[in-house]
Amino acid sequence: MKKKIIILTLFFFSALLFGQKKNEASSDQCFICHESVGSTEADLYKKDIHFSKGISCADCHGGNSQTDDMDKAMSKAAGYKGVPKGNAITQSCIRCHANPAMMKKYGSKIPTNQYANLKNSVHGRLAINGSEMIVQCITCHNAHGIVAVDNPASPVYPTNIPATCGKCHSDPVFMRAYNPALPVDQVQKYRTSVHGIRNAKGDPKPAQCVSCHGSHDILSVKDPRARVYPTNIPSTCSHCHSNAEYMKQYKIPTDQFANYSKSVHGIALLQKHDISAPACNSCHGNHGATPPGIESISEVCGTCHALNAELFSSSPHKKAFDERKLPECTTCHSNHLIITATNKLLGVSQDAVCSKCHKPNDPSKGYMVAKEMKQMIDSLDSSEKNDSALVHEAEQKGMEVGDALFKLRDAHQARLESRTMVHSFNEAKFNETVNKGLKVTTEVKTEAEAAIHEYYFRRIGLGISVLIISFLALLLYLYIRRLERK
Amino acid sequence: MKNYFKCLYNWIDERVQLEDLVKFMGKKYVPVHRHSIWYYFGGVSLFFFIIQVTTGILLLFYYKGSSDLAFESVQFIMSKVQFGWLVRSIHAWAANLFILSAFVHMFSVYFEKAYRKPREMTWITGMLMFFMCLGFGFSGYLLPWNTLSFFATKVGTDIAGNVPIIGGPLKVFIRGGDDVTGATLSRLFGFHVALFPGIFTILLGIHLILIQRQGISEPVHFSEKPASEKKTMPFFPNFLLRDLLLWLIVLNVLAILAVFLPADLGIKANPFASAPAGIKPEWYFLFMFQSLKYFPSHILFADGETVGILLFGAAGVLWLLIPFWDRKSSRGEQNRFVNYLGLFAVIFIIILTFLGWLS
Amino acid sequence: MDNVQGKPDLKNRRDFLKYLLSAGVLGFAASVIYPVLSYLKPPKQSEVEVTSVSAGKLSDFPKDSGKIIRFGNKPVLVVYSADGNLHALSAECTHLGCTVQFRKDLDLIWCACHNGKYDLNGRNISGPPPRPLTPFKVIVKAGEIFISKMA
Repeated sequence: MKKKIIILTLFFFSALLFGQKKNEASSDQCFICHESVGSTEADLYKKDIHFSKGISCADCHGGNSQTDDMDKAMSKAAGYKGVPKGNAITQSCIRCHANPAMMKKYGSKIPTNQYANLKNSVHGRLAINGSEMIVQCITCHNAHGIVAVDNPASPVYPTNIPATCGKCHSDPVFMRAYNPALPVDQVQKYRTSVHGIRNAKGDPKPAQCVSCHGSHDILSVKDPRARVYPTNIPSTCSHCHSNAEYMKQYKIPTDQFANYSKSVHGIALLQKHDISAPACNSCHGNHGATPPGIESISEVCGTCHALNAELFSSSPHKKAFDERKLPECTTCHSNHLIITATNKLLGVSQDAVCSKCHKPNDPSKGYMVAKEMKQMIDSLDSSEKNDSALVHEAEQKGMEVGDALFKLRDAHQARLESRTMVHSFNEAKFNETVNKGLKVTTEVKTEAEAAIHEYYFRRIGLGISVLIISFLALLLYLYIRRLERK
Repeated sequence: MKNYFKCLYNWIDERVQLEDLVKFMGKKYVPVHRHSIWYYFGGVSLFFFIIQVTTGILLLFYYKGSSDLAFESVQFIMSKVQFGWLVRSIHAWAANLFILSAFVHMFSVYFEKAYRKPREMTWITGMLMFFMCLGFGFSGYLLPWNTLSFFATKVGTDIAGNVPIIGGPLKVFIRGGDDVTGATLSRLFGFHVALFPGIFTILLGIHLILIQRQGISEPVHFSEKPASEKKTMPFFPNFLLRDLLLWLIVLNVLAILAVFLPADLGIKANPFASAPAGIKPEWYFLFMFQSLKYFPSHILFADGETVGILLFGAAGVLWLLIPFWDRKSSRGEQNRFVNYLGLFAVIFIIILTFLGWLS
Repeated sequence: MDNVQGKPDLKNRRDFLKYLLSAGVLGFAASVIYPVLSYLKPPKQSEVEVTSVSAGKLSDFPKDSGKIIRFGNKPVLVVYSADGNLHALSAECTHLGCTVQFRKDLDLIWCACHNGKYDLNGRNISGPPPRPLTPFKVIVKAGEIFISKMA
């Protein structure tokens, strides 16, 4: 009951306030006159949020709005400015929009830092004429007929943003003046993305330009503070994609970011700040963001992991995977949660990926081959480890093992190559690589053992000299005895 | 063959009168009694010094005293240079045995009261050489620039920093800065191979000249015997040959130790790594290190460790000046207090070294 | 103690002892001097750290080819490019440390392990390598190529 009264009272007062303002506006002589001559500006201004708040034409254009004498109203003496040009446009907006007290007076809750952000953004740089910012408020928000952002009629309403940004960013001639290397196909690509298709259907929730790039505070991709700087991309995407509530209606998982952060790629990018490591957009695309299709996965991963992709494509698995509609790399390596591949993936044990398809009663050779490959790579692994221990033992004993250490690099290389060679799923090719490594480890083992043997051999030299010294000592003893017996 | 030697001898003799020296040495006698064995430890210490100088010079040919090359150059000596492992291992082992034999020599002289008049100066130079040996050990320990030596030096210089008044400047002086860095290495390297050997050689010269001049000391119980009952042995050649015999045996022991327990290298020092647990100084500092641990953190208004350091300093000065306050021995009387004090020192050092070694 | 008959015998024995003693001293001297002399002989690698190594004669190095040389315990790749420039780069791939090689057909440096690619200046241009290869200094002196660390 109480609530109702409060609401009613509020309603009453606001109606009162509104009516009063309307009166004020209708006494705006500029507007009355310009409307009567059928000016488009005046027509548009009728729908403007500023009009409804009682802001007069003179508040931006200067002059005296109280008189209907044109000469007086638009005289310099009355402060008439005419149509503001360049930065003067933005200056007239920020008289209120950068002034919290003023905004409060009009009962607005919108932020007042837009100008500060704009000034520091890429759009705040000087335009080619050298006298104004590239972008003024009206470039995106229009001049007359400005409506609230959440009004679908606004040029900055989510579904209108791609077109608004595209006004400049899809114009090659315009963009060449500022950033000739920057592509101009973003909107075109965007329309092919999942985001863009939904956006075109009128859904305001999917990401559009400002969701990722920011609005007033847009920074260059190369700026580490930018939301689209490689290391910031995962958190930018996760802003929506990890929000289960927000994503509910789209029925897709929301654990990608959590998984990615734990993956080898996520660790490289987010913890080691290796910006060559892939972020979300490296696989999904950015403006054209879409999950890669099953057939294209190996091509996508192959942009970096080329050798593996190439080997896979010419392997017997290619056909088998295609027939069963299995996604290529991710079937074994997972997608967002790609952890460092270890030898454990290979083989026929419980946690090995081969055993997911290849069973002991497999009609093809798969099971046997997986088992053998695993044995081969394990033996290379352990002989490399043994060698390394032997060489370091010899080194600690002060033996010269530079050659063996140098050769050990080849074993390391053969091990890494054989891990790549697994993707050929060809036993002969794989064995060739592993055997190359095993040959090296045998050589290193021989050398290291020889060095350790040499270390113990030193004792023979010691034996000889101890013998000589003891012999001399004995003679000396006899000599002293003889001397003293005299 | 023999004639050539004779010729050479005569040639030199004509010019520097070698005959006098031989006669002088031949006239010198070494008392023979049940404690004669202790006379040999001076000679053994001398032998270790000779070995240290020889192997030290050899190491100097390949060692590089800078923080980025020190470890690598020692590694180079150990693996690339022929017999480098042997030279370094002998240097390391002889250093330890040198200090051990210096300890034995010092205590034998102490208990035999050989420091009494007129041999005060021999005692003082000997003690100074002993302190210098500890300095050699401390400075040489850092030179391989491995983790263990790095942190041991850090702890050691920290303790030096606790000496009242001069501690702070002393620490900065030893470290060549506020922290143990490459500058410390250069500094200790300079001490180890130039400053200390120079001073040590002068002290050793004085020490040896005094011994030749004053002859070998006779213990109180021996000097009281009538001349007819005093058993002696000529210094030359009998005593000298025995010395040589012992040196050969020592050399054998050293060679066996160097081959079977060669000096290891460890891991290169990393000034930014955290100190490994249980950093301990070399065994000859262990008794001091260990006893400082038992001091409470505060004694009255002073820092416990500072008090400990002061006590050790006072004990050192007392020990150094013993010929001047032990008047009884100088008069040829028994001084039981000195014996008990020495015994206490020996037991104290052994027990605390053992405790430090265990912890 | 000594009788008259024993005297010549004793004399003999003493001489024999002295003879042996000098032999012993000689043996001892040898067993000390041999290690010391070997120690003083400069080892093959005469310095603690390798500062420069020869990569052979320029005239024996065909253009448009590369070769791996040993620089201490690390491999260095020397490339004599088709346009006559010499490049020396660490041959350790910055990804997982495999040894990279010059690929004449691709005109770039290639790692066999994961298909990492670098241009001839060592910049990582494709594949997993996260960093460029470390460059080395190349000096040609009297027709011989020398590789040294960048100062």
